[in-house]
Amino acid sequence: MADIDDGTSAPASEPLDLVRLCLDEVVFVKLRGDRELKGRLHAYDSHCNLVLGDVEETVYVVDEDDEDEEAVKTISKKSEMLFVRGDSVVLISPQSPS
Amino acid sequence: MSFFGFDATLPRDRGHNTSAPGFAQPADPFARPHDGDDDDALDFEDTYDGLGDQLDETDDVFNDDTFGATETAASSKPAVGKDFDFFGQTAKVSNAINEEAARFTRQQPVRTAPVPSYTQPRPARTGYERYKEPEYVPELQADANLWGTAPKRPAGLPDSPATPSAPASGRKMMSLEEVEAAMRAQKKQAQPAFQGQQPVTTQPQVNPQYASAPSVQQYQNYPQQPFPGAPTAAPREDLRQAPNGPASQPVYILQRPQAPPSQPNIPTGPAQPNQILQNQNRHTSEQHRHGPSHHGHRQHGSRQHAPIITHPQQLANLSEEDRAAFLLEDAKRAKRNHKIFLLSKDNGLMTPQDKNFITRIQLQQLVTATGNPNEHGTDSALSEDFYYQVHNQIRGGPRQHPGQPLSNFAQTYLFQTGGRHGGMRRQARGGDNHMQRMEQQVQRAVEAAKNKPKNKQLVIEGSLGKISFSNAKTPKPLLNIKRVESGSDVHRPGSAARAASDRKAQKASLNGGDRRTVLSAIESVYSTLMKMEDHDRKMPPPLTDDIDPELTGRHMDWRAENQRLNDQLWQQLKVHEPIGATHTHPFIAFLSYSKGKKAIPRVFRHIDHQQRTTILTMIVVHLDQLDVVRNAQLLSGETHLNAGIRENVELFSLAVMPSLFAYLSEAGLDIVTGVLGLILGINVDVVARTRIGVSMLTMILSRAELIKQAGGVNQQEWEQWVSTYNGLFDALEGTLPTIFPGTVNTGEDVYVWQFLAAIGIGASPEQQQRLVMAVKDRVMETVGLAKTLPPAMSSQRLANVNLFMRSIGLDVELLA
Repeated sequence: MADIDDGTSAPASEPLDLVRLCLDEVVFVKLRGDRELKGRLHAYDSHCNLVLGDVEETVYVVDEDDEDEEAVKTISKKSEMLFVRGDSVVLISPQSPS
Repeated sequence: MSFFGFDATLPRDRGHNTSAPGFAQPADPFARPHDGDDDDALDFEDTYDGLGDQLDETDDVFNDDTFGATETAASSKPAVGKDFDFFGQTAKVSNAINEEAARFTRQQPVRTAPVPSYTQPRPARTGYERYKEPEYVPELQADANLWGTAPKRPAGLPDSPATPSAPASGRKMMSLEEVEAAMRAQKKQAQPAFQGQQPVTTQPQVNPQYASAPSVQQYQNYPQQPFPGAPTAAPREDLRQAPNGPASQPVYILQRPQAPPSQPNIPTGPAQPNQILQNQNRHTSEQHRHGPSHHGHRQHGSRQHAPIITHPQQLANLSEEDRAAFLLEDAKRAKRNHKIFLLSKDNGLMTPQDKNFITRIQLQQLVTATGNPNEHGTDSALSEDFYYQVHNQIRGGPRQHPGQPLSNFAQTYLFQTGGRHGGMRRQARGGDNHMQRMEQQVQRAVEAAKNKPKNKQLVIEGSLGKISFSNAKTPKPLLNIKRVESGSDVHRPGSAARAASDRKAQKASLNGGDRRTVLSAIESVYSTLMKMEDHDRKMPPPLTDDIDPELTGRHMDWRAENQRLNDQLWQQLKVHEPIGATHTHPFIAFLSYSKGKKAIPRVFRHIDHQQRTTILTMIVVHLDQLDVVRNAQLLSGETHLNAGIRENVELFSLAVMPSLFAYLSEAGLDIVTGVLGLILGINVDVVARTRIGVSMLTMILSRAELIKQAGGVNQQEWEQWVSTYNGLFDALEGTLPTIFPGTVNTGEDVYVWQFLAAIGIGASPEQQQRLVMAVKDRVMETVGLAKTLPPAMSSQRLANVNLFMRSIGLDVELLA
């Protein structure tokens, strides 16, 4: 019985194995260009290309109004399915079920 | 010496002028292109400029004063200069000349422009036809007279007879160096002595082309070199000499070659490269230094084109017919040589040696690549850039010093492709040489490969990657990270590893609900599932009646592999983990993830009946621990589960329940009874208040009812079922009023009505009464609500209630 446990609790051998654990889970993805995504991870590959479902995308935009005041504005979008190209991925984080 | 009809008397005895120009020069192929194909076109008389006739010989008596070669000076040897190294100087010059000549002909291969007149006679040297001319001989004799008063015989001559004899005896074996050494040993005799010995000492120069060969060994490789007295070559050479007064001329003839070698370099016009010009100058100055005799030779060079003739006597001994035959043969040979030369100019662009060189280069690279860096020194460095080197050398690459010998490489290449002097002998030798070197290199390469460690990578302790060596075949990968085979450490023998893995296992099982562990388990299950599904596709065609051993073997293999994967999957599902060892059983934790739930239908396709039973048992035993049961309890006041849990419940009923239902629909009553008994052991109240739990109970009860209706039920089993059912009913009775989710308004209670119907069908009349009592309020509420609802919704609600009512033999109509 202990053997069985061993086989599957072996440490991840490469970083993407951790991403694999997030398959079909809700993940938080930070992208370049001040963008964040939160959605269910359907697929990924070695380039960190991702396919996300039920995605909520948040874009942070710095607005300079007339008085030179900088105000950070967030734009939120929702997508049913999203393909994210890996070169823009900064981080992938599992989102604990809340 | 008189064997060949020589005049055995030494030159000094004859009183002949030993410094007279003499020894015939062999045919010089590279000079031949100038005269085209027609050898007959040139005649000695046409080309001879008569310079020799214009010489003022009246003052020859002062030659000794001018050049210091007086009788007294000769007797006191030092006056002549002890340091005169005739052979060395001449050989050097001769080599340089021939190298330059070869280079030049390669540089201007198609030069057909007329050359200065004094060079024109040269090609005609092969035109032995002029020997038939009667006036030819008198001219030569006049030549002899020309130097009649030239250097006297030295006083040291008495010694000389001994010295020439030694080289003469072993002359074929003698290398250049040996000859040179012999010459140095004779320094006492200096130039005069040398003159006396010329028949011997000039031998190496008999064929200046040969003398130009880069290595001394080559002399020894020419056994057929036409030395005087060598029978094989003699006949041809003698031809030219025959017309001369045989007895009186040998010395004169033998002396000739000193000067002629210089001629090939002179011919070129203004286009001549600097180096060659320099070389020419240098050569000329050297000649001047050599003394009067050389100078004189130069002056007469144009006139004395008498070719290679060493043994006049031999020809003299021949009959007229033989002589004519020889002449004819020689003419043919000359023409053929000439044509071959013309053709071979570009012919030898890729000689076997070139190919050998290229092969060697490749081998060299191989050797270098395998870590055996230049062991050949300059030679390998040269051969590494073959084409550049060859081009450089042929096109007259920089040469610091004209007298500096060409490198071995250049010499080999030049003389093999440029001139054909060496003929087959040289090539054969060169070929052997290259073959030898090739073999050596192959050997070296093999040794290097052997010595080289097989491991092409260097792993530094504690580093992430490896440093790998590159060679031509396997370019260096930038980074090579070794991928650790997952689980390899688990199977590693050794108590330490064992203990560690044990600890790990214990830890893992202690927090079996650990998120990451469960997720890993799910992923491994999926991996195995994919393997199994892939393996299914590889299933061999079904067995036929006729026995095919191969097919049977494939089936056996396939089954073995299938079994292996099945075991693997089963282990990864962790169904057999001890119950109660952890807070949450690993399999239940597995099922708490949506992807775990989704895996169940796929798992069920690949496991056998026994395993399905086990899974069902596990689920039922832990029914109250399932997330869809545990988290789906509606607390008082709550009317709705949150979205996530509802989603999970939905998924579970869509993914897991059908698999279980499909299994149960084939199961016997004993199993159904057993499953129901297990449920009795857990918190029925919790189970019954969730949709999944209720669905499960409905499933079990309806299956039992179906079995009963199908008949053929073992009486004992049926009694067992009834007793279990009674137990369930008793446990459920208190919960029945609260099993309805939310209020009556929500309308999500259809599954409860189905459950009640399932219970009611199997209930005894007394139980049915109790049942009605328990749910009477809800029934009345629903019927009452239905009256206020639109007809469509109303009839649906009433239909739901009717499911239960009918099961106990009633109808909602009765309540209306």
